[in-house]
Amino acid sequence: MKNASEKIVITGRGIVCGAGATPDDVWSVLESGETAVGPYSQWDGEKWPVQVAAEVKENNRTLVPDRKLHKTISRTDMFGIYAADQAIAESELLAHRDALEETEQGPFNDRTGLIVGAGGGNYSSNYDYLPLITEAEGSLQKFGSELSNMVTPMWLLKNLPNNVLCHVGIRGQLKGTNACITNQCSSGIMAVAESASAIWNGEADRIVAAGHDSPFEPEMVLYYHKLGLMSSEAPKPFDEQRSGTIFGEGAASVVLERESDAEARGAEVLGEFLGFGCCSEATGILDLDPDGDGVRRAIEQALDDADLAPSDVGLICAHGNGTRASDLTESIGIRHVFGDAIPPVTGFKWAYGHLIAASGIVDIVMTLEALRRKSAPGIPTCEKVDPEIGDFPVSTESVTPSSDVALVICRGFGGMNVVVALRATS
Amino acid sequence: MASTEKRRIAVTGIGMVTPVGNTTEETWAALLAGKSGAAPISNFDASGFSTTIGAEVKGFDAASAVPDPRLLKCASRSHGFALAAAAEALADAGISPTPEDSHRWGLAVGAGMMSVAYDDLKVVHDYATDENGYFDADGLMKPDFPASPVNFCRWQSNAGLGLLAKQFGIRGYATSVHTACASGGQAIGSALKAMRRGQCDFMLAGGFDSMLNPIGISGFCLLGALSTDNDNPTGASRPFDKTRNGFVLGEGSGFLVLEDWDKAIERGATIYAELAGDGNSLSCYRITDSPPDGNGPIQAIHQALGDADTTIEEIDYVNAHGTSTQMNDRSECAAMKAVFGERIDEVRVSSTKSCMGHLIAAAGAVEAAVCCLAIRDGIAPINANYENPDPDCDVNLVVGEPRPGRIRAALTNSLGFGGSNSSLVFRNPENVNSKEVS
Repeated sequence: MKNASEKIVITGRGIVCGAGATPDDVWSVLESGETAVGPYSQWDGEKWPVQVAAEVKENNRTLVPDRKLHKTISRTDMFGIYAADQAIAESELLAHRDALEETEQGPFNDRTGLIVGAGGGNYSSNYDYLPLITEAEGSLQKFGSELSNMVTPMWLLKNLPNNVLCHVGIRGQLKGTNACITNQCSSGIMAVAESASAIWNGEADRIVAAGHDSPFEPEMVLYYHKLGLMSSEAPKPFDEQRSGTIFGEGAASVVLERESDAEARGAEVLGEFLGFGCCSEATGILDLDPDGDGVRRAIEQALDDADLAPSDVGLICAHGNGTRASDLTESIGIRHVFGDAIPPVTGFKWAYGHLIAASGIVDIVMTLEALRRKSAPGIPTCEKVDPEIGDFPVSTESVTPSSDVALVICRGFGGMNVVVALRATS
Repeated sequence: MASTEKRRIAVTGIGMVTPVGNTTEETWAALLAGKSGAAPISNFDASGFSTTIGAEVKGFDAASAVPDPRLLKCASRSHGFALAAAAEALADAGISPTPEDSHRWGLAVGAGMMSVAYDDLKVVHDYATDENGYFDADGLMKPDFPASPVNFCRWQSNAGLGLLAKQFGIRGYATSVHTACASGGQAIGSALKAMRRGQCDFMLAGGFDSMLNPIGISGFCLLGALSTDNDNPTGASRPFDKTRNGFVLGEGSGFLVLEDWDKAIERGATIYAELAGDGNSLSCYRITDSPPDGNGPIQAIHQALGDADTTIEEIDYVNAHGTSTQMNDRSECAAMKAVFGERIDEVRVSSTKSCMGHLIAAAGAVEAAVCCLAIRDGIAPINANYENPDPDCDVNLVVGEPRPGRIRAALTNSLGFGGSNSSLVFRNPENVNSKEVS
């Protein structure tokens, strides 16, 4: 599938979520065992069945200082732009470009890609039309004629799903191959996988991958709750008492390039992308295969892509969203591949909630951190593993990964399963 | 880039639901006849909007397209188009996933924006706003608020992907992309890449969209992107004409079945074309404006030609993005002229948006299908409504009548808001064979 002689490495990371706005900050929260899930502030939750979330605490101008930009972007875009900026800064990619001869800068930009995984849209963005509906008193004719008096001309531009792609591209002049993936939960992790594939494929020399989302909003909470997918407290992945997930929000980003290019420009190598798997269970929008079929196949594909045996894997960062069906079928899929020799399993949604489109890429950044530090934070909310799941190597305490290789599992609506294999560079 | 070892990919099935026809052949016949799909909007009362015309899909029966009532319930209008077009493409190709090979089938879609239905927003309004119409979250907690899980499912960014995978039993790689008007082209490009890297042996790739609803059209009206020639719907979309004044919003879906070339030959499949090359760039200019000098689209076209191991000399037809906005058409022509040089006078160019309108996330996929049909029949469809030459757009447009003549290879461009540019190259199967002999 790929050119094995070319290692793809990670040279920059960015993250923002309820647990912090740098990898170190988020790591402290994971290590402390204290969840960032708590009472939310975006609306008054007193009458709501769900009163907690993992909200980003940093203010807008801290994340994106450019005041003008805020007029044309939404909250989720702000997270994505911030994370991508951090990753680009850590990689020193643009500093390297700016030091090149002027004639080399254009070709460098043309060979620098940007692939973003986005949530695709928010219910709240449409609320800009609510005052117009009041004004129109139920008349669609009046809705149309009063439209331009009541709604900002920038409405569509503020809410384009591919805004982060556009603005990060403009800011950095990243003019190469690009995509905006809107595949619900799989979006962010697929941005990383497609980026590595594109470099292996020769479509670009380096790619900034980012994923962002702000699923935490009233209608989302309501519908997830009605579907039985919401907990009322920090999620308890794999625990027998687990009752659902909790929303987080934020973004993460990584810079990917060939190891030889990173070495040539003297960039610090933080980790290696080894391979990935991606498949659908063909079960429709919400349903899951009871046998964990998609999880199993995505893991097997990732191991095959990365030329790994199951025994090479030293850590699994599970999707572990805390819902009854997903955690159970995920454990079944993992067991199918690893049998009785499952490596240590952890997952981080207890700490920063479920970031939906950004969930997988945030997990990639933090799993890499765990491998680099040779310590995987446990799941403190998983006090007693569900007997239906059986013997499963999750712990409330930190454990030592049994090798420098980890799998990150991400599952989503549409029967999606994506697995990425990573190696730490220490 | 190991260009000599690229896996060759065949297009063996086409499905289309468009404003000019609910099947591939109906659409193609209408395009050759220069028939417009634009008319006063009938889906809803658009009389108050600055634009009251659109290119709607007509007489579409979602229930016959989506036989499973459970899927139909969760399908939006655009999902219905997608399921119908995909079913046609698979039937046309004469293959579909089996339990044995379903894990080798992939799916790549360009999906429209998650725009909420007006009626659903009206319900939120009626329960959860104050007297001025400002949102009040607690209104959603009223015990009789009709929170519908079905609406929620329909609204998910990958709902279309999930429905397609389920209906056809596709269990391999699956991706859903949205780069505005470039989505459909990017989806087909993503499919090509996934097949070349061996991730799938068969793929269903395409796009679907429907923004012809009150909220969907509002965004474009606010931006002033739509033609306001309300008294002349069929003449409103006039790409490259000097008097062009915006696009006509369309809706629909297009899908291609892609498979390994050798396997297609082996099973005796009819091959429309080789999906030969994909190019993909970001303009990094402004969010809606196109770079006047074509910088951005130029790179995408060059990449697509390079990826197809070809040059401008082999391209006999360009299906242009040609939206009929001042900026896009000027920028695209600058790019075409920069890439093709003097050859631009020989290459037939047309924008079929002149008839179909702009299908947004579906546009690139539908126009890719048009390229395949143009290659099959050796004829270039027309660029309708072109009357007043624009010196900035002096390319060799197919005007008046469709222009016959063998097409060795065709190029299609899709240029999106946000600056994503997608170009695809399709090659005549006879040229593939002669290439191999020589």
